Amino acid sequence: MRLRAVSFAGLAMLALVLVQSNASEAQDSRLPVESVEADVSTRSVSITSGFTGTEIIIFGAVENSRQPSAEAGTYDVVIVVEGTHQPLVVRKKAQVGGLWVNADQVRFASFPSYYAIASTRPIDEIAEHDVQKKNQIGFEHIRMVRSGRAYIGEADPLETIEFREAVVRLKERDRLYVTAEHGVIFIGRSLFRATITLPPNVPVGPLTARVMLFKDGALLGSYKSNVNMQREGLERFLYDSAFERPMLYALATILLAALAGLGAAFAFQRSAPT
Amino acid sequence: MHVYLPIAEMSVSVLVFLGLGAAVGFLSGLFGVGGGFLLTPLLIFLGIPPAVAVGTGAAHIVASSVSGAVTQFRRNNVDVKMGVVMLAGGLVGTYIGVEAVRLLRKAGHFDVAVSLLYVTFLGVIGTLMLIESLNSWRNVNAGAAAARRRSGQHNWVDGLPLKMRFTRSKLFISAIPPAVIGMFVGFLAALMGVGGGFVMIPAMIYLLRMPTAVVVGTSLFQIVFVAAFAVLLHAIQNRTVDIVLAMLLIVGGVLGSQFGAIAGEKLRGEQLRVMLAALVVVVAMRVAFDLVVMPSELFSFGGRT
Repeated sequence: MRLRAVSFAGLAMLALVLVQSNASEAQDSRLPVESVEADVSTRSVSITSGFTGTEIIIFGAVENSRQPSAEAGTYDVVIVVEGTHQPLVVRKKAQVGGLWVNADQVRFASFPSYYAIASTRPIDEIAEHDVQKKNQIGFEHIRMVRSGRAYIGEADPLETIEFREAVVRLKERDRLYVTAEHGVIFIGRSLFRATITLPPNVPVGPLTARVMLFKDGALLGSYKSNVNMQREGLERFLYDSAFERPMLYALATILLAALAGLGAAFAFQRSAPT
Repeated sequence: MHVYLPIAEMSVSVLVFLGLGAAVGFLSGLFGVGGGFLLTPLLIFLGIPPAVAVGTGAAHIVASSVSGAVTQFRRNNVDVKMGVVMLAGGLVGTYIGVEAVRLLRKAGHFDVAVSLLYVTFLGVIGTLMLIESLNSWRNVNAGAAAARRRSGQHNWVDGLPLKMRFTRSKLFISAIPPAVIGMFVGFLAALMGVGGGFVMIPAMIYLLRMPTAVVVGTSLFQIVFVAAFAVLLHAIQNRTVDIVLAMLLIVGGVLGSQFGAIAGEKLRGEQLRVMLAALVVVVAMRVAFDLVVMPSELFSFGGRT
């Protein structure tokens, strides 16, 4: 026990020294370096029969904040909430013999099912493109891997960009990719918060929330948190049944359908004056 | 009031889908068709993923056709023997159809294939029906007796083996044509998310020369089982049957189909056929429009893979 306590103290000392030396190098000052701490209002979102979308609130604080007031704008905060990365097929229609048919297709190995970005001001004002790209901030910098193979036609690799833009456009249309350029608000010198809206059609799966603190275009610190999203109650029972016991699920559906039909036929016979 | 659909993964208005079920059910009861040829395109139009629309539509067809079939059965309008022969072919056709859906979806041509089938079958059959039914309506109105069955006329169908006596239909014909018709309709049913009444009813009238009185009941009787089999296959193979959506459509549908059946009693057969034909042609033109006119968005996501 004592040994462990001693080693802990030693580690803490070492860490402190490292942090301080780091700070003095980077900031060229004796002030402690800023960092960010954050959390989400809810760690789990339940999808029940009554689910019509929900909001999650992300709040946090800048440790050792040096900004004089909430309006000073010394710091920028970017919050990115992402759904699970999934493979995605995008198809493009073309006119063939007078008919509009799917002619080209590109398969991406991975694309986030949901992507929300909130920031204190437009991200292009916050950081340069290479910084954005490194931290995967913004629709343009979503990491995507193209996995060719399954083509209908042969889409030119140069055309991939067109397909990529189409993904973003279609996802934005479905309100699954959202931007809030002034969605993060400082409440005091160090406190900030943002509201992220999950639409009713949000794909079910865990979400990752990243909170990044910027100053003068440089990333000072970041924080990552997870939000569980799962089906609950009846919703979960039905979904599990459909995927794990499809035969039983189908028979139950048929039985209910047939009973409803029979019930109506007999109910109407009794009430009808024929 | 909204409800979240477990398979379609979206929140929808309860009233909209109850109303849709009722409207389609009414037409189903009126014309003796499953109503799928209206329901599937409408579900897709309302944002339900096409594959889920096809799978869930089949469940709606089970309910509305059971309801209609029972009503027809009590009026002795079902030729059970003929229905069973058609059903035997229908189950085989459904199996092939669901398999075709899987392959077409994989290849990315499902949407277009379905649209082309809609345009071809609804267009051709609707137009033929419209011309024929308008002619017979005119004849009836002019006082001439509608030629129900041209006696003495023989065709290649009469030469086939496996002859069976269908007492209720007053027919003595080979079992092969009804079984083949059943199989073909089962195939289309699975592929298009329809019951197939719009193909089966004309085939029964013009090819098998069944009396119109038993056509609607027998068609509904057969559709019940083909649609149930389609639900089973879609649920197992593609996981595209949404039970919550199905129940919404069914509750609306069974009520609507009863009113439809009652309304149908008050209309003459010729009138019904003109109306059905016109409806079929309109749906075909609507689908054709989307195929020919440049879509506002050329890109789309492939279905679940």
